[in-house]
Amino acid sequence: MMLLPCPWCGPRNATEFRFGGEAGRRPDPASASPEEWRRYLYFHTNPAGWSTETWYHGAGCRRFLTVERHTVTHEVRAARDTATGTTGEGIS
Amino acid sequence: MSSPLARSPIPPGPATERDGWEVDARVPGGPLTLSDETPLAKVHVRAPFDGASRAALGVGFRRTRRADLGAGEVLVVGSGPGEWLVLGAPGTAGALRAAVEQRLAGTGEFTSVLDLTHGRALVRLHGAAAPAVLAGVCAIDLADAVTPDGSAFRTSVAGVVTDVVRDDLGGTQRSGAAASDNGGVRSYLLHCERSSGRYLADALLDAGRLSGLAMTGFRGLA
Repeated sequence: MMLLPCPWCGPRNATEFRFGGEAGRRPDPASASPEEWRRYLYFHTNPAGWSTETWYHGAGCRRFLTVERHTVTHEVRAARDTATGTTGEGIS
Repeated sequence: MSSPLARSPIPPGPATERDGWEVDARVPGGPLTLSDETPLAKVHVRAPFDGASRAALGVGFRRTRRADLGAGEVLVVGSGPGEWLVLGAPGTAGALRAAVEQRLAGTGEFTSVLDLTHGRALVRLHGAAAPAVLAGVCAIDLADAVTPDGSAFRTSVAGVVTDVVRDDLGGTQRSGAAASDNGGVRSYLLHCERSSGRYLADALLDAGRLSGLAMTGFRGLA
């Protein structure tokens, strides 16, 4: 079982989350070229190592999270709420 | 013409009518029971996570408290970041929604208050062995130290996204402050989408069969 440390809910089974792919800034739709869109949509780094990813906690807090995960060992060294930056400290 | 009768997604045993709802007529009782609490009024609130609305509702994320918001005693649940669920007596949904709206109107924050009574299902798992039954279909640590009376969380229960609210009955702790042993009997309210309600009840009955879990009549918040 793979656990992900949700900053709001605490450690939860990864089955509660939906994987959203590598985290990255979406290009500006008004100015992005087709090439930039293709790279954003289809070309990913896919490292065998540390990766910054987006996860959605659909069965818990229903928030989008940014998670730093090692793709080989599944170790997670950081997780925060994508919108607010909340890391889980001081939530009550 | 008579007024319409609301029905829960969970079929009752012997049925009777209460406040416009068809409810199970059996008298609540037994050491380990599951009761259909869907007729309880359910009002959903969305507001900023840590602002004036939270202060007005008097409870934060992952906690519950009993209060009177102007429509009788209710259970206020901090069900998510910036989300609250307010449970009240059957037939009070309209008054409860209006009371919550009025309470939040003065906060100056952007809030939404929605009556979800007929769109959700709610069951109560009650009895000393309730944690053992729930542990069979839910991966959360249900020990007192982690989820004491008055705590709430949302997780997958038998594969259904469910708000789980620990609301022990018969104890001394009613204000929502953390209490690991209040002398009450373990009790969990489980709140999910209406369309999953019957499945969730069946899954819990299945998980609790060896523990003697039996369906019983409507209990309410008391």
